[in-house]
Amino acid sequence: MELEQTKGYKKINAWLKSGKRQPFVFQKEAWRYYLEGYSGIVNAPTGFGKTFSLFLAILIEAFNEEESAVKKKKTKQGTRLIWITPLRSLAKDIGRAMAETFEALNMDWKVGVRNGDTTQAEKAKQKRTMPEVLLITPESLHLMLAQKETPEIFKNLKCIVADEWHELLGSKRGVLVELALSRIKGIVKENRDEDLRIWGISATIGNLEEALEVLQPLTNVKKTIVKADLQKKTIITSVLPDTIETLPWAGHMGLKLAYKLLPIIEKSKTTLLFTNTRGQSELWYQHLLNLEPDLAGLIAIHHGSIDFELRNWIEDAIHKGSLKVVICTSSLDLGVDFKPVDTVVQVGSPKGVARFLQRAGRSGHSPHDTSQIYFLPTHALELVEAAAIKEAAAANNIETREPFILCYDVLVQYLVTLAIGDGFDDHKIYREVSATHAFKEMLPEEWGWCLQFITTGGSTLGAYDEFQKVSKDEDGLWKVTNRQVAMRHRLHIGVIVSDAMMKVKFLSGGYIGMMEEYFISRLNPGDCFTLAGRILEFVQVKDMTAIVKKTKKKSAVTPSWNGGRLPLSANLGAVLRKKYNETLNKTHNDIELDAVYPLFLLQQKISHVPTDTELLIELIKNKNEYHLFAYPFEGRLVHEVLAALVAYRLGKLLPITFSIAMNDYGFELMSETEIPMDDSIAYDVFSPENLEQDIAQSINATEMARRKFRDIACIAGLVFQGFPGKFVANRHLQASAGLFFNVFADYDKHNLLLRQAYDEVFHYQLEEPRLVAALQRIQQSRIVITNPRSFTPLSFPIKVDSMRETMSSEALEQRIERMKAEATRFSD
Amino acid sequence: MKITTHDTEIILDKDRAIYLPAHRLLVLSDLHLGKSAHFRRGGLPVPSCIAQADLLRLTNLLELYTPETLLITGDMFHHGLNSDIEEFAQWKQQYSAVKFVLVKGNHDLLKDADYKKLGIEVHEPSYCLGPFCFIHDAPKYDGAELYPISGHIHPGVTLTGAARQRMKFPCFYFGAKYAVLPAFSVFTGLANLPMSKNDRVFAITPGKVMEV
Repeated sequence: MELEQTKGYKKINAWLKSGKRQPFVFQKEAWRYYLEGYSGIVNAPTGFGKTFSLFLAILIEAFNEEESAVKKKKTKQGTRLIWITPLRSLAKDIGRAMAETFEALNMDWKVGVRNGDTTQAEKAKQKRTMPEVLLITPESLHLMLAQKETPEIFKNLKCIVADEWHELLGSKRGVLVELALSRIKGIVKENRDEDLRIWGISATIGNLEEALEVLQPLTNVKKTIVKADLQKKTIITSVLPDTIETLPWAGHMGLKLAYKLLPIIEKSKTTLLFTNTRGQSELWYQHLLNLEPDLAGLIAIHHGSIDFELRNWIEDAIHKGSLKVVICTSSLDLGVDFKPVDTVVQVGSPKGVARFLQRAGRSGHSPHDTSQIYFLPTHALELVEAAAIKEAAAANNIETREPFILCYDVLVQYLVTLAIGDGFDDHKIYREVSATHAFKEMLPEEWGWCLQFITTGGSTLGAYDEFQKVSKDEDGLWKVTNRQVAMRHRLHIGVIVSDAMMKVKFLSGGYIGMMEEYFISRLNPGDCFTLAGRILEFVQVKDMTAIVKKTKKKSAVTPSWNGGRLPLSANLGAVLRKKYNETLNKTHNDIELDAVYPLFLLQQKISHVPTDTELLIELIKNKNEYHLFAYPFEGRLVHEVLAALVAYRLGKLLPITFSIAMNDYGFELMSETEIPMDDSIAYDVFSPENLEQDIAQSINATEMARRKFRDIACIAGLVFQGFPGKFVANRHLQASAGLFFNVFADYDKHNLLLRQAYDEVFHYQLEEPRLVAALQRIQQSRIVITNPRSFTPLSFPIKVDSMRETMSSEALEQRIERMKAEATRFSD
Repeated sequence: MKITTHDTEIILDKDRAIYLPAHRLLVLSDLHLGKSAHFRRGGLPVPSCIAQADLLRLTNLLELYTPETLLITGDMFHHGLNSDIEEFAQWKQQYSAVKFVLVKGNHDLLKDADYKKLGIEVHEPSYCLGPFCFIHDAPKYDGAELYPISGHIHPGVTLTGAARQRMKFPCFYFGAKYAVLPAFSVFTGLANLPMSKNDRVFAITPGKVMEV
């Protein structure tokens, strides 16, 4: 039967009409595919009713069935739709909209929310009568699988929707979803021999097809991508300096142009000002208040370290429209719509097109509004980036989100999760797991290892006697019998591993937020620091809480938080290289490039401006130091490895020790001796040949893997994260991830989690695939070597960047001797 | 490495122990016997060869110095009795000539009868010899005449070079007020000590002991 003729469609359409609405074309398309039994992905800009494109499909289906499906039910019919959302705050809003729909359609359906905030009483109620629609986070979905008698819940399940799938996809949370889906699909298939429909909702990303394959990897089911043919209008404006001299050549705070924002803030209802780091947001807050004291009471600061309650209050205030400007970080990238927000400002490079557009989309949220975003450069070369972003945005040149694969830590956690629920049959679960995208490349022996890891402890070589975790019961199912183990596991389901954080509290009472423990540990009583826009004096640490008091002092340390330094994306890098061509030729329509033109003239005069088919290398001698700068425009992570690689390869030509520095545009090698370099050397040191061996030789992979292992150890249940302010029980069972790393490295070399740590370093930290692509591109490029007599506009920002690393080929003991000579002891 | 403190010669061994030739006394701290088995029972996979590796190092030390007394300044046992400790009891039979002395630490919760059965002489809270007072946690020493030598905190030292290079090693600490020995067991973490200028610190790198 045609969609339009069905009872359900008529009912929904009538309801929409009564509210003077009509379905978008893509919504009807999604409904049609859904009713025909397809799985798929809906891709539409925010604000165009993505939720309804799937939610209403389930309602139409229900109305098409017997009347009994929607009316008073004598028997429990259970959950029909599971809606996975990455954010708790989103669940609240969506749940409200759904409940309103049930009301309006006179349906006897309920929507339940299940996440970390759900109370025990609510959960118990849900267990008695499962709501027809369940809104749930990936973590809570796994918690459900850890309960007994879960299959009952999925008796009547029709569909699972993964909302904001693009967000989940590029993280280990995506793997959590994949595994949960594989199990629920398995249960449904067993119970009623039916393939469960799986749908995703995604913003535009570069690899939508792959996103669908990850979500629904089964090949024998029907699947499709439904794209909305709707464009969100976005106006991008750069905040330009009056003269290029106003802008510094280097730096990343951007305060110099802050005064230019005041009229923009003035004429807007509410402005969100995005900065890239929490430290930067604190500085901006102070600076804007100093510039315009009238903003007091109308300005707020919002980032991940600010107390939950305070953040809620700020979000409410944005909703009400009582704030003029909010300084924020990625903490507000996602989440519910704020109607009053009509302007967004991005300070400094957003590093990627997707992120920039996502932030822009926080303004003008309703379907036909325009998003208004201002780009404020923090140094002169970022003007080029502004032009590049505009072009990439116009061309919809959006980055891909790469799905995680072979995360044995997540798999190990998942198996224990199943073992504390109803237990699992390893043959069945192996079939399900190896059908997922994440584990389709898993070898049978790797699966065997994971099973061993939770049952006997690990390889027989290491001898793990007395090990107790998962064992086989008389029905042949793997189960956890130790209640303590089960309880501890339930508390640690999930893959988000945070730094050790400490709550910050006023002496007089009241929480302000959270700080990394290592930052607090370096403070002495009387030291001042800023948090949530306030200057605070540190008093003491008590019960795992940092006690502070208000202070009149003006100077304070702005904490530098870990993380937040994302590299430039490959897409943006490519457009950026092209913009360099256009600036000097004046073959463009970008006012940003006109503004930066004088700087490019200078660069061309004393060195060279590289085109996108060239690699520029600058050799600069300054006092007794020799510098080599190279500009591949591949982002700081790739540059970090590239620099170490080139340093290592040069070191093979003659013994030489380098200091290394890099930014998103290029890198520097500095030495006390002259650096050998000409055309043929350049092609050799930038060669993709022998790459893996040379990288292994040139970087301290062990140290990097050790850092990666911290998360892996947490996820795999080796290390327990303490909860801030809460006493960590079982002190006798506490050991650090680093200790486990050492122990496995020394006594159990075949540990798969160790290998995963190295794989993650190579793949995600060193971005090996991107590195290979960059080297291949460089081999095709013309290499231009110049010898400028001073630092150039291009080299200056790198020179200023403080991140320095020394690269040398000395032996360990020698290195220690030398470090000893330089040693500054400190405690942390 | 040899040092002299309080007119006594002390050998700092890279296997995380000190030897006092004048007293034929081998001292170590924080052995944490049974820790790995305790972890395994709790569902955490730690290979049991760790405990064997610790015992092997102890064997080497006993053969090298042939001490009269082996003194452990606390945390000899991590938690309760388990397979690791059975293994230790068997191992110990070969060294009936050596006197095993334990100064109790916060982890040592075995019953008196268990210590007796294992042939370990227990002292609480300290064991004094010559100018030294061996005690688990140095600040708990309330006298003034003797120099406390302790364990408990698993001291580590971070060496930093130019350019973000950092490495952390277990260490011996000889401060003005007291000394701290490194934890003997390899299955222990490291805590950084607050240090002042005149303190002597000896890092244990993979190959040797060096003053920093």
